Amino acid sequence: MNNHQKGAKASYIALIVFVLIWISGANALHRFTKETFAEFQAPALQIASKGSDLSRYWELKSRSNEELISASRDLARINAALELRLHSIDDIRRENTRLRENARYTSNSEFLTVVARVISRDTSSWWQKIIIRKGRNDGIRPGSPVVFSDKVIGRVSAVHLNISEVDLVTSPTFRCTAFLVGDEKRRIVYVKGDAANSLSPGRAKITGIPIDYNPPTGQPIKVLTTGLGGVFPSGLILGEVDGSIRMSTDDNYKVADLNPAKDLNMIEEVSVLVPQYPTANEILLAPSEKIKLEEFR
Amino acid sequence: MSPDDSLNKISVPSAPITPWRMYVIFTVFAVGFIYIFCGLFYRQLIQSQDLIDQANSQSEVIVWRPPARGKIMDRNGRTLVENRVRWSVKANLLSLEGEIDKEYRTLVKAEKDKEDNLKINYENLHQQARVNVLNRWLKKIWFVIDESNQKKSPSDKKKVKFLANSPEREVNASALAKHMRETRILKFTLISDLTFPELRNQISDEEADRSIARFIEQFPVDGPITIESDMIRSYPFGSLACHTLGYVKDSNQLPPNFDANFEISFKKLSKSKYTGKVGAEGVEQTYDYALKGISGWERWTKTSAGYKRELLESYPSQTGSESMLSLDVNIQQAAEKALGSIKDSVGNPLPGAAIMMDVNSGEILAIVSQPNYNPNRLASKVTSKYYDEIQEQGGWMNRATQGLYAPGSTFKIITAIAGMRSGKIDYDDILECGPVLRVGNHDFPEHEPYGFGQVDVEKMLAISCNVWNYRVGLMVGPDLLAQEARRFGLDQTLLKTNPAVSGSENPNAYELPSPARRMIIPDSNYKERIGQGNWTGGDTVITAIGQGFILTTPLHMACFASSLARGETRTTPTIFHDPTRIPYHQDSRPIGLNRNQLNAIREGMIRCVTEGTARSIQIPGFQFAAKTGTAEYYKSGQKAHLAWIIGYAPAKNPQVAFAVLVEGQLDTNTWGGLTAGPVAQAMIKEWLNSKNSPSDE
Repeated sequence: MNNHQKGAKASYIALIVFVLIWISGANALHRFTKETFAEFQAPALQIASKGSDLSRYWELKSRSNEELISASRDLARINAALELRLHSIDDIRRENTRLRENARYTSNSEFLTVVARVISRDTSSWWQKIIIRKGRNDGIRPGSPVVFSDKVIGRVSAVHLNISEVDLVTSPTFRCTAFLVGDEKRRIVYVKGDAANSLSPGRAKITGIPIDYNPPTGQPIKVLTTGLGGVFPSGLILGEVDGSIRMSTDDNYKVADLNPAKDLNMIEEVSVLVPQYPTANEILLAPSEKIKLEEFR
Repeated sequence: MSPDDSLNKISVPSAPITPWRMYVIFTVFAVGFIYIFCGLFYRQLIQSQDLIDQANSQSEVIVWRPPARGKIMDRNGRTLVENRVRWSVKANLLSLEGEIDKEYRTLVKAEKDKEDNLKINYENLHQQARVNVLNRWLKKIWFVIDESNQKKSPSDKKKVKFLANSPEREVNASALAKHMRETRILKFTLISDLTFPELRNQISDEEADRSIARFIEQFPVDGPITIESDMIRSYPFGSLACHTLGYVKDSNQLPPNFDANFEISFKKLSKSKYTGKVGAEGVEQTYDYALKGISGWERWTKTSAGYKRELLESYPSQTGSESMLSLDVNIQQAAEKALGSIKDSVGNPLPGAAIMMDVNSGEILAIVSQPNYNPNRLASKVTSKYYDEIQEQGGWMNRATQGLYAPGSTFKIITAIAGMRSGKIDYDDILECGPVLRVGNHDFPEHEPYGFGQVDVEKMLAISCNVWNYRVGLMVGPDLLAQEARRFGLDQTLLKTNPAVSGSENPNAYELPSPARRMIIPDSNYKERIGQGNWTGGDTVITAIGQGFILTTPLHMACFASSLARGETRTTPTIFHDPTRIPYHQDSRPIGLNRNQLNAIREGMIRCVTEGTARSIQIPGFQFAAKTGTAEYYKSGQKAHLAWIIGYAPAKNPQVAFAVLVEGQLDTNTWGGLTAGPVAQAMIKEWLNSKNSPSDE
């Protein structure tokens, strides 16, 4: 047997040993490897994202003066309109403050908002996931809701040091409860991501719509978060009912498709609503947080 | 050597093979191949289907999909019974197998380490491992559901557990063992209904929704613990008309009308145990054949351990038919509220019954029995605790159709009719009625200490004179009294199904379960038949005022009032609404009184309301006819009173008839007009509202 053959044999043995260790290895080993891979990959993703931002910057810088003047003029108009709106919002805020003082009502915000840029998205038929440029170092925790303005984008599924993975509303691993606008009894329905096929955008499904629910005519049916589940604040927009509401196959209730509130392929920036206090689900499912179940008993 | 020599040497072999040996070998091989070939042929072509079936039966299973039951509505289309989505938390034991095995090994090791251990019961340890693992998960589920576990701030140290008394806080080991034996193919239910209907007096609707939402949003989608929805019976009005509507209970009896080819196609496949619902009591029971719908099924492959693996095909279930009852929710609510407000000395509602029916069609607009129960608390599971609670209160009995009572003074109408039809008295005959009537050695009293003096039919009905009835009873005799009562059907079983309306194929079925059959209309031979000696004059006078041996139901008395309102003898009551119904009352005949006699009865009943025993329930501007009654009965060996009122409205051109009964207790002051009257008044008022306040002519 020559050296070349010996080397090949050693490689095969090493590969087999590695596979055996991997198969027989503890979950901790798997988690560690996955985490290491994610952390190893993170700088590359960040550099790519920042590179993309830079190229966008230079692309804008190469625009002619006429284009910039025109864009600036448009922005000025929009600014003026927004300032007017802001003024009215200020009035409302003052009124709100006055009423709260009169009623001696004080409430602490239950969520801290962390704004993050989207650095990668995978809206293929399988994953329905985005990666954002904020992680554990920025205070992000698993399970936190992810929104854009008042529209739900998804939920943080995994957190690494500097990046986090977000399951979109259309991901099969996403679910939450919702109210349908127009249902005076405010009965909860069940929203669950539905894997899309390769030719169409992601969708979510709404099930458990009561049979006697009558949708308002002539206007889109908004789907709002209930705020009852302890994860999403109430009143956020999940999307609108897409198409008709139909009976389930077993005639038990009605079902419908949900068109997400935000075009999930176009998101560039999101807000992560990090709960001020750990949710029960975090305590149960993230033992690494060092919060014991018994503490809460 | 010559050429011939060489030829001789070649043609003669040195060791020749004998042909018979070859034949034997060929034959053995040939037989062997033929055997194998035939075997293959037999297995592949003749036995193939059986073998496929056999293989499938070991690897596939049929899982039933129970159908949603049909809705039940009132006559105006308001939903009385519907289905609601039930959210249950279930454990996928297949996904938990690894965890269970680990726990099992731990238990076995602990058992082996025990010094005094003689024999290890491995099956018990396996079961214990399952219970332990599921209990751990259940603890987590309750942790998520418990509102108090959601720490709002570090200073909030509230430790009160949400639904701490729920019976599903821990896994029921025997239920789990039964599941492993009978329904292993399905997921195991940890929490049967996240809205906790049995504890609804402790939690609000929002809290119930919150527990569903918390599970959905806080438990992972793809974990071993899942949330599943199915349909469950819902009674939006709670206990309203519960005896008429009934409730549902678990059933393993498969609805029969599924795919016609099913049995042929899947004859040899194993099938999971059917776990559906069947109607119990009320229309849910009697109309079950139509309400239950058509069962669907799913064909699954299963693992060697018996858990389901992959869905191969499915056949949807079909919702049961809808049913429209003749009840009017508003009148029913008014009757239940009024009856519920009559309470004993400790504040418990008195037992009773109330009925209002359409005089012409016989359709029942309201039928109440008290005490009642809340079928919502039985919809998910009939717990023995709640069952016993209802049993203790006497809530299972439908007093309107099953309760047998002495009709008391409401029977005096029949005594009067018997008197006039027999020619013993006429409508304008006046009888002298003192404070007592002596019959044999016994004085039978009037309820007025000084008597009523001169009394005719009208006055008798208005003031409910006893002595008049004693005397007429004696004139008529017990047999004619009994004959008259039977002519009005007081001894007939009511609520027989009308197949044309209910769709029932059984002509001997009843619209409500177990209507009373043992009504008693005593005649002169009755006492002898039951071994209590000879009939006496005293028995006759007691019967003439609706007491003694006579027993009938409130529904019979409502039908009697309805027949009287039409001037006939029988009314066929029904609980189903049919707007196209042509009024038909089986075996009904004209009442057999002349106009003056019938008017006397009717006027007497009107005077009962305007100036007589029911004057306290007059409705200003509206005239109706009634007859009250207060009968004695024995409760725990002591005398108590039954309060009755029957009648119809309006007084002219009657459209509805009614009967109300209240069972007085030993310490209650119960009188026909004062106790039962307000219930009748409430029903009439509500009927007037629903009729847009029609006024009497």
